[in-house]
Amino acid sequence: MQNLNDLQKVLIIGSGPTEIGHETELDSATVQIITRLKKQGIRTSIIDNNPFSVALEEIQPTNMYIQAVTTENVRHILEKDMPDAIIPTLGGLVGIRIVQELIENGDIRRLGITLLGMPTTTMNQVNNPAALNATLKEIHEPVIEAKIVETTDEAMGLVENIGFPLIVKPVAPRLDTNRMICENVDEMITALNQGFQQSRFDQCTLEHSVVGFKEIEMVAVRDIADTKILISGLENVDPIGIHSGDSILVAPTQTLNDREYQNLRDATFRIATELGVVGVLHLSFALNPADQRFYVTKVAPYFTRGVALAARTTGYPVALVVGSLLLGQRLVDVKLPSRYVKQTAVIEPTVDHVSVRIPIWPFQEVPDADQHLDTVMKAVGSTVGLGRSVEEAMLKAVRSSQFSPRDVLPSVSNLTDGEMIRQLIHPLANRILVLIEALRRGYSPAELSELTKIDNFYFVKLQHLLEIEKQIQANPMDVETLRAGRYYGFGDGMIARIWQTDTAAIRKLSASAKIMPTYKMIEPTAGEFDEETSGYYSTFEYENESQPLGDRTALVLGRGGNQLGPNSAAEYFTTEMLKQLKRAGYHTILMNTNPNAIAIAPEFSDKQYVDPIQLGDVLNVIHVEQPDIVIVPGNRHFLARELAKLPLNLHVLPPDQETGEPLPESATIGVSLFVNDDQKVAIGVMDLIAPGMNKKLSQVTAFRMPAELPKAKRLNLVEQAKQAVSERQLTGMVQVLFAPKSAESKQLEVVGVRPTRLTEMAFLSKVTGINWVRMLTRQHIGTLDDAELTAVNIDLNSQRVALMNAAFPFRQLHVLNRPGSTDQEVGATIAFGSSEALTLTNLSDTAELDQIINRTI
Amino acid sequence: MAKRYLILEDGSAYAGEGFGAGATTSGEVITNLSLLGYQEIITNQIYHNQILIFSQPAIGNVGINHDSYESILPTAKGMVVRDVTNISTNRLSRLSLDEFLQQHNIPGISGIDTRHLIRKLRHMDGPVKGSIVDVADAHAFDQLNATVLTNRQVDQVATPKPYPNPDTGKNVVVIDFGLKHGILRQLSERRCNVTVLPWTASAQDVLNLDPDGVLLSTGPGSPLDLGEGVLEMIRTIQAEIPLFAIGLGHELFALANGASLRPLPVEYHGSSHPIRRIITNDIIYAAQGQGYAVDDKTIDRDRLITTYVDLINGTVQGLRHRDYPAFSVQFFTDGAPGPHESRDLFDEFMEAMTAREG
Repeated sequence: MQNLNDLQKVLIIGSGPTEIGHETELDSATVQIITRLKKQGIRTSIIDNNPFSVALEEIQPTNMYIQAVTTENVRHILEKDMPDAIIPTLGGLVGIRIVQELIENGDIRRLGITLLGMPTTTMNQVNNPAALNATLKEIHEPVIEAKIVETTDEAMGLVENIGFPLIVKPVAPRLDTNRMICENVDEMITALNQGFQQSRFDQCTLEHSVVGFKEIEMVAVRDIADTKILISGLENVDPIGIHSGDSILVAPTQTLNDREYQNLRDATFRIATELGVVGVLHLSFALNPADQRFYVTKVAPYFTRGVALAARTTGYPVALVVGSLLLGQRLVDVKLPSRYVKQTAVIEPTVDHVSVRIPIWPFQEVPDADQHLDTVMKAVGSTVGLGRSVEEAMLKAVRSSQFSPRDVLPSVSNLTDGEMIRQLIHPLANRILVLIEALRRGYSPAELSELTKIDNFYFVKLQHLLEIEKQIQANPMDVETLRAGRYYGFGDGMIARIWQTDTAAIRKLSASAKIMPTYKMIEPTAGEFDEETSGYYSTFEYENESQPLGDRTALVLGRGGNQLGPNSAAEYFTTEMLKQLKRAGYHTILMNTNPNAIAIAPEFSDKQYVDPIQLGDVLNVIHVEQPDIVIVPGNRHFLARELAKLPLNLHVLPPDQETGEPLPESATIGVSLFVNDDQKVAIGVMDLIAPGMNKKLSQVTAFRMPAELPKAKRLNLVEQAKQAVSERQLTGMVQVLFAPKSAESKQLEVVGVRPTRLTEMAFLSKVTGINWVRMLTRQHIGTLDDAELTAVNIDLNSQRVALMNAAFPFRQLHVLNRPGSTDQEVGATIAFGSSEALTLTNLSDTAELDQIINRTI
Repeated sequence: MAKRYLILEDGSAYAGEGFGAGATTSGEVITNLSLLGYQEIITNQIYHNQILIFSQPAIGNVGINHDSYESILPTAKGMVVRDVTNISTNRLSRLSLDEFLQQHNIPGISGIDTRHLIRKLRHMDGPVKGSIVDVADAHAFDQLNATVLTNRQVDQVATPKPYPNPDTGKNVVVIDFGLKHGILRQLSERRCNVTVLPWTASAQDVLNLDPDGVLLSTGPGSPLDLGEGVLEMIRTIQAEIPLFAIGLGHELFALANGASLRPLPVEYHGSSHPIRRIITNDIIYAAQGQGYAVDDKTIDRDRLITTYVDLINGTVQGLRHRDYPAFSVQFFTDGAPGPHESRDLFDEFMEAMTAREG
């Protein structure tokens, strides 16, 4: 084992393309840890093939391995580059599995590589329930054990120990089967008979059922000297039975008493010590509300969504601290940036606000997926609401989760009673709206709690919101009612809709009655210290803590929670844009609600507002900050239109994809240009690949640069493209689309022009080594230098082949794998090589790869 | 709910909604930064006569539970919170925080910008007086300013009569200065046969019970108000019997051994501070609630050893006698509410009692 003080070279295993289960939060943590390592003078390299990775931008090209994150590739890098240590905790479960294999094969030991974050014995137990359960039992932590049985008699012998309700699951089932919950012996025998038939080995597992228990998560950090602090407890509103990624999550816990909470904290610390984790530990527990007993259900000694939420909600800089811990520093010695009070790293966070996270599901884009929420995660993103009451936080989160342009919640009042009851028991994506609807129809909190196993407390809170809504309905344009509405999180748009007026009228009334938002700092000491962290959320109280940043400020509006489509690419764009604005001398302010966003980490902007990105809330921030420029994302048409009516210096970035110009049905070649006044710089000629039979433009989800064309042809297309652009009033990043004149012809013609999509923009940046987001941002704020653009010299005929291929969530959603469309993308992979064949082998997904090889252009 | 006001002696008034008892109340205003545990906090007698401001924004969420009392008859003067939920979760579903406060004539006020108050009070010289009133007029402020804070807190909350808590293990005498039940729970878990004595008990009263160990409890107010008699008792006892002192008991133990106290610029009530256990260099967390600290410079090193220190404000958090099996901690080791990792101090006490036998 290496002395941690002597580390010179460290390899980070990247997280690969975003997918269901992890978004950009891993990339975000990676960036912060790289910053920390850099400060220590450590040469950091990374392997990742995510074209939207911001971490890749932070690393010297020579230390960047843009390769699929596979065991083979990692081993190759270890052998070639000989790093002193490896960080496996930033690559999600893939990263863990790879390191497990490298340990098993003896590579880690053979190459003398230090594992940062946990000892190898612990690494081997991650995601290995049998081994982990054995360890946990040794330290007397309660776990749910599955017993394998081959006969009903055998099961009868175990029943007394396991206790009802219990779960029967076939071992290695022939079909995709569900676990069966049994309440008594009869049900168990029926389930076993079914299960034995389904199992390939005529075996079933029996385990105690914790379905309906509370699911509580704990996020802690531990240092090399065994000092531990609990960052945050997280409470799943939905009980065990619904995946925590699909559950509404509240932080800190709201329905645990101190004893229950401290018992889980104790267990967390014991496990952290036993596992020897150095860094972050995220645990899940099943807590029986009837007798306060609990089971450990998940042990994740690596970065997760839960860790990201704990960091965002407390303001505790988890990734920065873990960066130091990994290098062997103790919590008491961790030095943080000056915005934190000295010793913040070792002050256990306590907060004076409530955070609610609501998932975002992809069922609109993938309608054939089973939309029931169960034990398999289906959400692709989430959005968070912060407030000083549960009502306020909950309502803000709900508002952000619905993507309503006018900030109005959709109605589910047309559900039949029968359908509503069914959905209460078997929830769908609109769960929260159905819960509210049930209260509206007169079901009592106690009844609903019984039915859903959601704590009564949450129904009491939702009912309170309904009471306020009733008040609003009954008292149009009443000042005190408006005050109450805003106090509990109602948006201006919601109130305007109820009062049949517009947002402007609501705002006027608010201003005249002085019902103004007060912004509170998101900091980890509940006001004990004058922290100068940069995150804020709004509420309507006495003291406003947010002072305007001053001169030359830029307000950037984020896109909210992640959805399918170009969202990871948008996150890359926003982050890079913020960097450029800062570089251009702006004080930057970001407004966003996605707790997993990269840009929301305090490293990327001077100030962050975690508030719904809705007209009323945006205007409130504008009122406080008086920004010199406001940047609204192109997909927010209503918001952009309304803001445009005001005397603001407004920019639409990332650009709006809808220009009004009709797009062709299909295209096979795209020529990318950067257009500035009279200048048109050619960036690349790429093949537009639509895997599968359907060749529609919306199915173009893979790209190759340079396009497989003769050199002269490429140059010819560039000329044609420049001509096409000259005929239009377009500036910035433009893509000219080409397609064959007819099915038989090889002759290509211009079929359309569009702003470059975000995914392709990231691809072009990675391929050309020029940051095009930077160019575009500078063009918008008027700091783009003609000479700089002229100096751009791109080899359109590069010998190096680059491929980018979108990733889709079909497998995880259990639907037929198939060529996807652009609005179904969940992430992407990128690969480089000296020939196409070589490049293809670097793409990670072989199924997709076959489709590309079999393409017909 | 009725509109009520929190007024402070600096002339400020904050409008909110009343809950709990409707009484008008005055007292010293104290902020508590704990993440959870409102029931344990409001029933802790160290808050006798005080109005508590909670940083936990959502209060009342888990109602009132039979196993979360730190005293049966709480005597805090008021609760100031951002948001209160009137909900009951106890087994018979019959006691919410609101009802509980009504029963004990403790007023509460919600809808207050508690974060603002906490930030503001940090910069005010304490103690700061406040009232919860129906009307924030000149009369209310006059009343508030005329309020004299009592210095007889221990007298008012500690038991006037001895009582037993029988079990079969070690024989422990607890001197009650405003005892929190968490201490008794810890002793019960260790099967101690406990006799609780009034704080006025003499050394002879204690020795008559032939205890294996003596515990000086937590309690409200300043130890300087309790007089020399208690210190004399401690000095006699520590020489004869293993002694463990917590909170106010710790402060008395320090005084009895020649150290002085100093008032903290701002009282600290929370459990976020890292506390170093000097002998092992470990860092632990525990609920703290203190307005005074033992003055480090006045500790007679020939008599006392500092065992714990708060890494944030540098205060002495634990002492041990050089010559006797007597030790003390400033923080609440029973973890009700708050972290549990210092509960092993009760084990240490058990060991000290066992060692004496052997």
